[in-house]
Amino acid sequence: MVATVLRIRFRVLGNTLSRSPMQLVGFIFGVIGAVWMLFLAGVGLFFVGTLDLDIARAVVTFAGAVLTLGWVVGPIFAAGLDTTLDPAKLAPFPMTTRQMMVAITAGGLTGVPGITTAIGSLAVFLVWVRYPAAAVAAVVCVPLGVVICVVASRAVAALAAGIGGGRRTREVVGLVGFALVIFASPLFVGVTNLLFSASEQGAQLQTVVSALSWTPVAAAWAVPGDLAAGAWITGLLKLVIATATLALLWVLWRRSLAASLVGPPARAARRRRSGSLGWFGVMPSNPVGATWARSLTSWTRDFRYLRQLLLIPFAPVLVLVYSRGDLDGPFFAASGLLVGFFAGILAYTDVSYDGTAFATVLQTGIRGRADRLGRMLGSATVSIPLVLLADVVTLAIVGKWELLPAVIGGSLGLTLVGLGVSAVSSALLVVPTPAPGDSPFKRVPGSTFTMFLAFFLCWALVAVLALPAVIPAVMAVFFGVTGAGWVSLAIGLVWGAVVFAVGVLIGGKRFDAGAPTLLAQLRAFQGA
Amino acid sequence: MTDIPRDVPPPSALPEAVAPRASTDSRPAMQVTGLAKRFGQKVAVEGLDLVVPTGSFYGLVGPNGAGKTTTLSMATGLLRPDAGTVDIHGVDVWTHPVEAKKLIGNLADGVRLFDRLTGEQLVTYTGMMFGLTREEVGARTADLLQIMDLTEAAGTPVVDYSAGMTKKVALACALVHAPRLLVLDEPFESVDPVSAANIEDILRGYTTSGGTVIVSSHSMDLVQRMCDHVAVIAQGRLLASGTVDEVRGGQTLQDRFVELVGGRHHAEGPQWLRQS
Repeated sequence: MVATVLRIRFRVLGNTLSRSPMQLVGFIFGVIGAVWMLFLAGVGLFFVGTLDLDIARAVVTFAGAVLTLGWVVGPIFAAGLDTTLDPAKLAPFPMTTRQMMVAITAGGLTGVPGITTAIGSLAVFLVWVRYPAAAVAAVVCVPLGVVICVVASRAVAALAAGIGGGRRTREVVGLVGFALVIFASPLFVGVTNLLFSASEQGAQLQTVVSALSWTPVAAAWAVPGDLAAGAWITGLLKLVIATATLALLWVLWRRSLAASLVGPPARAARRRRSGSLGWFGVMPSNPVGATWARSLTSWTRDFRYLRQLLLIPFAPVLVLVYSRGDLDGPFFAASGLLVGFFAGILAYTDVSYDGTAFATVLQTGIRGRADRLGRMLGSATVSIPLVLLADVVTLAIVGKWELLPAVIGGSLGLTLVGLGVSAVSSALLVVPTPAPGDSPFKRVPGSTFTMFLAFFLCWALVAVLALPAVIPAVMAVFFGVTGAGWVSLAIGLVWGAVVFAVGVLIGGKRFDAGAPTLLAQLRAFQGA
Repeated sequence: MTDIPRDVPPPSALPEAVAPRASTDSRPAMQVTGLAKRFGQKVAVEGLDLVVPTGSFYGLVGPNGAGKTTTLSMATGLLRPDAGTVDIHGVDVWTHPVEAKKLIGNLADGVRLFDRLTGEQLVTYTGMMFGLTREEVGARTADLLQIMDLTEAAGTPVVDYSAGMTKKVALACALVHAPRLLVLDEPFESVDPVSAANIEDILRGYTTSGGTVIVSSHSMDLVQRMCDHVAVIAQGRLLASGTVDEVRGGQTLQDRFVELVGGRHHAEGPQWLRQS
């Protein structure tokens, strides 16, 4: 049964790749990236093996921890989980939950990341080849570590998708989990930084890593090193921890999977009183008002949009982590600019989130510029207050109120330019997105290399077009040029408004010409 | 059917606000000429010609994959045809999309709705998109929700509706701007019999008052009962069209359809499937 499922998995992969050349290109890039990482890991571990045993132990343990966390966190930032073997798709077949879990795990192991991890972890033997006891232990522990990676990623995703009964609960839990993971990752980067700075001193490294080696993420990888050093007892205990981790993950996964199979997404029987139109009662009754109200409703209620808004507080935190907690330097004071940059470009492919409901928009015969204006006003209504809030809060933290005009000018300039670029890009481009209510961990089939390229192109375009507002802001914040702040504020607002207006006009023209093509693409995504 | 007297009173089932303006227009409600579309190697629609008279209740039938949805998508401005033209009351859909779409109320098949909105919000939104005044939108939304038996569920997000309720709210959206032509792709799929009968009354009233309805359906009984005109398409081509009586020529529409399209098997199914 498992073998049959795996055959189907590769058949599906083959069919997808042969159907779309661009996906093949993306796939090949993925494989090249994987081979390159394998090469680095192999060479690195080979040299580590020739070093001192303590260093070798620390490196292997730490790499194992990074790998395991990467499997759990990676799907959110990068590609998402491969859903070819989705439990919901396997449910109609006569297989037990256990068989299904084995099949999904095997599928995870045989994907590009799985194969890369498996081969890469074999390189660990290059380190332990000189210690027979460790090499023998690695025969057990390396596969254990790899399986923990795969099972952990599936278990976390299943838990995030399956907790709670109602749609609303599930969505809230998904959002909170997503926020936790997002905000945990800079902390993780911070710990990494700490480790590297510690290794420069060469003192604390050992303590930190040995503490890490007792945690579920690294235990399996630490066992051979302990044995090599002759610490049989701790090695054995860590093996127990690793085995228990796997067992616990398996049980949790099994439980949420079993629950989700018999209780698929439930309908919430919650009603709101009728007559409450929300934003639709506020906006003027015309196409722009209707689009504005709908867009605003999405930004404030749809969890796929709310997840994007989480980026806004994320930006200052990121800056803080990379500047190693330095509040006095100019970087944190200027983090409002980064917020403005993220906030404007959020809607760069706004139509994608409509899905095939875009047909409703299209059949009303709305003019392109009305559609663009409504959407961008919707986005602006949430992003501009958030940007201003971020500006004020970051400056309040550092207490540099004299920078307020510069930061507001630069950040609003970036936001408005971003909205202008989005007005054009979202008329040209749709990307596959999760359906409303889907798990944030779920990979959307059909993302291609060109889409990433387009995304970075939009970012670059915003960065370049916003230079007139950003340059004076940077002069004020980083070089203390007096008066530059007010120049930035004036240019930011005026130039931003100009780019916004031009974006709406150009985007409107493109929309009028190309909207049916967008719908055709969205239909294709739905079918994919 | 093309000549509807102006003094026909709107039927009671249809609120005054939603009734179409009576038309003395002698041009067909929809005229499709040489419509063609291919997806890669596959030809979906091949040189289709169709004339839908104003005031008719027009059924579009065909087997699975015949090109019904593709044809209707192209006719309503949702899918760009490779060749051919579509005129709605004399307005070309693909050169004057904005004007043409104001005449059409469209219930598309296989597309999502903005299902995070409540039923009431969704109908209101559609009305606002067509630029109705706030008073018009409010009154029409209330009327339509009542007709569709959705008043109770007005405040529930559409995502939590059943399949039949979703169809009904989509139909309400198609009606809200009082279009002259209704294009309904599979309108009765998963709608309960009572609601279906109610909707049928509304549609019949709508055509008597001068509106035109095009429905695509798999149900021959339904088309034979409801429609006065029918077109049979298969593999992207028109096999027959005209009034229902002309097309069926004394047989039931079901038998005539099978005769035209072919592919009927007379077998009891494979041996292994038989239970005794």
